[in-house]
Amino acid sequence: MVHLTAEEKAAVSSLQGKVKVDVVGGEALGRLLVVYPWTQRFFDSFGDLSSPDAIMSNRKVKAHGKKVVNSLINGLKNLDNLKGAFAKLSELHCDKLHVDPENFKLLGNVLVCVLARHFGKEFTPQE
Amino acid sequence: MLSAQERAQVAQVWDLIAGHEASFGAELLLRLFTVYPSTKVYFKHLGFCPDETQLLTHGQRMLEAVGVAVRHMDNLRAVLSPLADLHAQVLRVDPSNFPLLIQCFQVVLASHLQGEFTVEMQAAWDKFLTGVSVVLTEKYR
Repeated sequence: MVHLTAEEKAAVSSLQGKVKVDVVGGEALGRLLVVYPWTQRFFDSFGDLSSPDAIMSNRKVKAHGKKVVNSLINGLKNLDNLKGAFAKLSELHCDKLHVDPENFKLLGNVLVCVLARHFGKEFTPQE
Repeated sequence: MLSAQERAQVAQVWDLIAGHEASFGAELLLRLFTVYPSTKVYFKHLGFCPDETQLLTHGQRMLEAVGVAVRHMDNLRAVLSPLADLHAQVLRVDPSNFPLLIQCFQVVLASHLQGEFTVEMQAAWDKFLTGVSVVLTEKYR
């Protein structure tokens, strides 16, 4: 289990306040589906994913991306009990969706890139 | 392999980095060491806490090698052969570390290019750097 220091918790919380959830979530999920196209296997019902433009403008991608980031923000409010906060989602992703955990790392990495893109030089290595 | 469009994307991004190899390389290493501290084991010659000069020097060397790869995308195996030998016989960097470096590279690009860093650029660059890392680890066994 990963444990965040007080400084890390503060850095994460301060960034969270500045994030435009509507925009960042959809962009992160969209970029995941374009840069790592095999992840599209989990989103057969999302309609047109045939090109980068189609993916980035897909309404279902944007809506689902927003939902994912909102869940992460909920996690930020429960940094001392991440396991409890994500228990139900964890079961869903394992038992129903059957998502290879490697994909969570990929989405996390893409989200970090999106944050870097939005915050530019402000996005320090520590953050 | 890379399509013509992907090669153009890679070249376009490189045009924005060229001339700034030292500062980009230094930031890349700083991010790598900060976010993935276990990677520092491969840079013991830089010391426990490398200073700015060391990061700039080593960063420039690494980015210049990337520049060589960009200019020879059709012939990576030949041009990167000496580096592949180095990584296989001397450095012996565990292959699992290359995705970490690639991720940090993407973050550096995203933070510097911001609005200009399109999803197509990100995809092409990821594919290109993955190709480079495959060549660098090919001689391991």
